[in-house]
Order: sequence, then structure tokens, then C-alpha cells
Amino acid sequence: MTRKHSVNRPPTPDGAEDQGNEPILQEIINIKLIESGEKERLMEMLRERLIECGWKDEMKALCRAYVKKKGRNNVTVDDLVHLITPKGRASVPDSVKAELLQRIRSFLTSAAL
Amino acid sequence: MSSKINGHVSPQPCPHLLDFRFRNGPKPFRALHDCIRVKPPGGRAAIRREPSEVPRCGTCEESSRSRLYACVACAAVFCHAPLLHSHASDHALSIPGHEIAVDVDRAELFCCACGDQVYDRDFDAAVVLAQTVNATATTSTSGSTAMQCSVAGSQPENLRKRRRVDYRPWEPDSGEHISRGNQSIPLLDATNASLVSSTQQPWGLRGLNNLGNTCFMNSILQALLHTPPLRNYFLGDRHNRYYCQQKNGAINGTKNSRLCLACDMDAIFSAVFSGDRTPYSPAKFLYSWWQHAANLASYEQQDAHEFFISMLEGIHEKVEKDKRKSQSPARQVTKVIVFSLTLINAELASALRFRTAGLMMSTALLLIPSSNKIDPAGGGDCCIAHRVFSGILRSDVMCMVCGFTSTTYDPCVDISLDLEPNQGGSGKSSSAKSLNSCNVEADCMHPNQNGGISTLNGCLERFTRAEKLGSDQKFFCQKCQVRQESLKQMSIRKLPLVSCFHVKRFEHSSIRKMSRKVDRFLQFPFSLDMAPYLSSSILRSRFGNRIFPFDGDEQDASNDLSTEFELFAVVTHSGRLDAGHYVTYLRLSNQWYKCDDAWITPVNESIVRAAQGYMMFYVQKVLYYKESENQGTS
Repeated sequence: MTRKHSVNRPPTPDGAEDQGNEPILQEIINIKLIESGEKERLMEMLRERLIECGWKDEMKALCRAYVKKKGRNNVTVDDLVHLITPKGRASVPDSVKAELLQRIRSFLTSAAL
Repeated sequence: MSSKINGHVSPQPCPHLLDFRFRNGPKPFRALHDCIRVKPPGGRAAIRREPSEVPRCGTCEESSRSRLYACVACAAVFCHAPLLHSHASDHALSIPGHEIAVDVDRAELFCCACGDQVYDRDFDAAVVLAQTVNATATTSTSGSTAMQCSVAGSQPENLRKRRRVDYRPWEPDSGEHISRGNQSIPLLDATNASLVSSTQQPWGLRGLNNLGNTCFMNSILQALLHTPPLRNYFLGDRHNRYYCQQKNGAINGTKNSRLCLACDMDAIFSAVFSGDRTPYSPAKFLYSWWQHAANLASYEQQDAHEFFISMLEGIHEKVEKDKRKSQSPARQVTKVIVFSLTLINAELASALRFRTAGLMMSTALLLIPSSNKIDPAGGGDCCIAHRVFSGILRSDVMCMVCGFTSTTYDPCVDISLDLEPNQGGSGKSSSAKSLNSCNVEADCMHPNQNGGISTLNGCLERFTRAEKLGSDQKFFCQKCQVRQESLKQMSIRKLPLVSCFHVKRFEHSSIRKMSRKVDRFLQFPFSLDMAPYLSSSILRSRFGNRIFPFDGDEQDASNDLSTEFELFAVVTHSGRLDAGHYVTYLRLSNQWYKCDDAWITPVNESIVRAAQGYMMFYVQKVLYYKESENQGTS
């Protein structure tokens, strides 16, 4: 006869662990990227590309226009992030995305070995 | 955020920051100083408890968030994404005194309650110190006091970015001082200082005397005298007329050795920029040009655009002969073909008077089918004229039956644009007419683009539009091996340093067998972006936004220089086809000057906007940068 609350039951999981004990694949990749220093290099490369293609200047111009409209004491960082995140994500050139994906892909194939 | 970061305007701290500083003593961020890690590439500062720490949010355990903040009070890390969830804000609101956090990837202070960045002088100074220590690669002095960097800390924002050297204007050292004194003649000495400074006019403004219907030459010369790359070339002594003539005299002692249009240009530059304000007579230049273009040598009125082309050819020819004698004939043939083709297209040949015969004959002789594949990179290095004005046009002809596209590249020194046919719709034509009638003081600041007013951008758009070649102009398709109807599209593969736009203001009516001038007003902008007319843009719009390989190094051509241009000279024509007058408007230090032969007067920009443009000269904005500054004392 089994009792409902057996002392041998495993402890009740608390809120932080309801994602599962196993880190998901995205996490593993992220950690591997950071540990090998590849993420830093990718970030630098991405920054360079976005400057080259004028994306940074476009975003800067958007922010400036917004600040001009609102007045410079009425703008917070969160406002600006909220403003340019959708436009920024949409206007990244395809070539930059492709290059980044290619780099990540080659990193993964080399890291998996 | 304050715009004068390097000045003395510092942003005011928010109440939470003030409170935090008040509560935590004189150096509240001391503990963070040891956590500043500077990554060698680029010197970005980050906050890590251990050098290899992977920060993750304490609530959701995610490390891949884009903004992670570490609470300064309790060192707990949280993510902050205001739209989705902000565990940082949750933490800040739940525990008073924990509102201030630091961005772990950027080492910037943040107030989670206000949702905005905050600044602390000591903390920023410590970050700067860490970055400079890292950059100079000395032994670690991170244990030293933060006070040491208060000297360097006056410009924290500047050093946050990559290391830059502060701007210092050039001063000659002692050796250069001496050689300057020995070999130069001061432009501003006691004798002519009063002459120049009293009139307050910029350098290089000097009237040109009309030597007998030579306003066509004067107007183009005025424009060329202030073409920045050309002016810099000649004033920089890159073509010295004394040395050049000596060379020519030594090589071949024929009469033609004295003829060098570039030397004459050099003489004109020296005369015009000498500071003398009395009008100058370019007689020597006129004589040289007559020798070069013998068929145009007369006191009759000429076409300014024709003169422009002929002059560029003259400069090219002479320089070419000196350098590469074997190649010059081919180049000249190609150039003249391009020139003559534009003539024929424009029906200008029939519009001009007696010279028609001469021109038609010479073009007929030269319509030899030459190789279409001209080296795309060519046309730029042969002489200064081409270096400045030469661009490359791309022409795509697509067979409408099979889709086979044949692409050709042609160098060009200018772009001739058709004026759009009368767009006057129902009510819109009235606005166009009223602009034509008022010649002066027309302040047409906001014309409706789609109304009856022609604009330069509209003409360029028409130029690069895909055009159906009519059934009488069928192109031979190589794939179908028959003549088929085709679609032709022009685009610009390589932009020149200076773009010259020529407006075809001549209309030939075959019905009435006469030509007339089109006086319709054309609106032209002071700043022009040529990006939509480049081959890359045109092709992209044809195929959609895709990554696909361009032939050759297409991308280099458009990425090389920027596509923004600034207007600096406008040549206008007033009068009829056979009798008229040319006037040039020049833009110097953002002030417009009307150059009417020997008379130069400053004018308001509204007059220029209302003028009837015939040729417009635009220079790359990067080369025009300094022009807007006051050049009085430089």
C-alpha cells in the first residue's frame, strides 16, 4: 500500500529549477562561445560591420531625432532602446547576418570536434 | 544625455543616485573597481567578479540576455528588458537602496528605478584609469587611488571609445619655419593685406573679361576654378607651367609643343587666386583653346557644355601625349564616341547652327564599332580632368523575349539629362507657369514634388528608369540571334569626384524642322544623394533585397566613396538658342556669388534656386567639408 506522501520522494523542486536541470542547447552554445573568447571576437566583428554599413549612424540619427523631439532631459535609455530595437533588428543588412551565421557555424563545427 | 560631454556640462544625478552616495560614504563604488576587466581588443571595459565569469540573471538564469545589470549594493545580477520582464527593476523596487546597478558588459551605471543611465565621476574615472592602464600595458596599478586619474578623468567619454589622439593644429617646427620663409611669398603682407581684408571676399573670386561672346568660356572657367579637387591640384603646383613648357620645348620643337591647356589653366589659377581683384582676361587660354578645337575658333557664340567637354579633352590629350603615347588614340576614339552619341541622342547636333556639318562628319567617321567591354576601372588615372570628372555608366539591355541581358560600361565625364515632358496636369500647370514668369526673388522653397515642377532628382530617376526601346530600335540579342525588342536601363557604376549634370534644354521638332530652347524651370537641390541611382541600388530594386554576387567588384565601386554630393556651381543660360548669355553662380563658404563675366556680386540663395540651371556641378560631400567654415583667417 503506497502512501501519498512517501519520505522517499525526491524533494519538491523550487521555482528556479522549473526550466529543467539540463542547460538547454542555447545556453551551452553561449557558454562555449564566451569561454573560448569567440563571442568577444564576434561582437567586435559585428560592431565593425555595422559601423561600415552605416547602420550605427542610422540608429544614432534616429536617437538624435527622438531626443530633439522630446527634449534632452525627458529621454531615458530605456526609451531609446525601445525606440530603435525593432527598427535596428529589421535594418541589419543581410550580408552582415550571413557573415555572422557563417562564423558561428564554423565555430560550432570546430568546437564540436 | 548631455551633448557637451567633453565640455563642462555633466548630467545631474537622479535622486536615487544621490541617496545611494549619501548613504554609502565618500567612495561608494570602491568595490567595483576591482571588478573592472578590460578586454584588449578595443579596450572595452566590463564588470566581472572573476575574469572568466559568465554572468547570468539571478531570477531567470539566462546568460544570453542583451542587458545584464549587477546591483551595486548586493552584487546580484539581473536582466533588464523593459518590455518583456525586468528582473533588475523587480529587484530595485523590492529592496530600497538597491536601485543603482551597473551594466556588466559596458561598465555603465544605471538606475533601475528611473530606467536611465546615471553618471558618477569617481566611477567613470576608475573605468578610464583601468582602460588607460590596459592600453599603455604598464604593470598593473589598479590598486592605486582613483585620484590619480582625476587629471585624465576630465574627458571620460572621449577615452571610452578607441584610443584617439587629440586634435592639435599643425605648427611648423624650426626647420620648416626657415624653409617657409625662404621659398615662399606671403599672400597677406602689408601691401595687399588691406586690399584683401577690406573687401572680405573669399580667395579666388575674380571677374573674367568678355573677349567677344566668350561668356560660355568664362562661365565654365569660373565653375572649374572653384572645383575643389581641380583647384587643389593646380594650387598645389601639381602642374607647373614653367617646368612643363621646358619639357615640351625639349622633346619636339614644333609649334604644338607650346600648346598645353593645363599650363594655361595653371596660369589662370595663379592669376585668379593672386588676390588681385581687377578683372582678368583669359586671352592666352582662349588662343590655346582655339588651336585645340579649330572648328570652334571664332567669335561666334558657343555652347558652354561643348566647351566643357572640349576643354577636358584638351587637358587629357596633352597629358596623355606626355605619358603614354601608344594608348592615347584608343582613348580619344572612345571618348569622342561617347561624346558624339550623347550629341545624337540629344538632337543637339541639329539644334546647333553651322557647326552641325563639322560635328556630324567627324562623328560619322568615328562610329567605328569599338570593343564594348571597356576596362571599368579605366578613365580615372590618365589626367587630372578625368580623375576629377570621370565616372562610369552602366547600361543594361535586356531582351524582352528571352531575358538575356547584355551589360556595357562606358566612362563619362558628365551626365546629360532630358527635361521631363510638360507634366502640367489639370490644376498643377499653373504653378509651373508662374515659376517661369517670375525670374527674380522666387522663393520656391516647397514645391510639390509630384506636381508640375521638374526636379533634378526626377530627371535622374528618368535617366535610370528602364526604358523600352521602340520597335524601330530593336537590339540584336545574342541568345536569340535576331533583333528583338529590348528594355534598356542606365545606372551609375562609379561616381566621379565631381558630378556635372547637363540639362538638355534644346528641343527639335521634326514637324516644324526647327529647334527651340526649353525654358522650363528645373528645381535642383543644394545637397544631393546619388545612392538611388547607383548600379547596386538599381539592380537591387530589380531583383529585390537579396545577397547575390555582382559581376566584378561591383560593391567596391559604391562603397569606395560616399554618395552624398554638395552643389558648388551652377551655370545658367538666359536668352534664345542662338543668342543668349551665360552666368555662373558659385557657392563659397556657404555664400552664393553671381559671376557675370567681369562682375561678381554676392547674392541671396533664393535667386540661385530660382535660376534656370543649364549645368550643375556637384562635388562629393567629403571633399566639400571644409568649405562651410569661414576661411577668412585660414
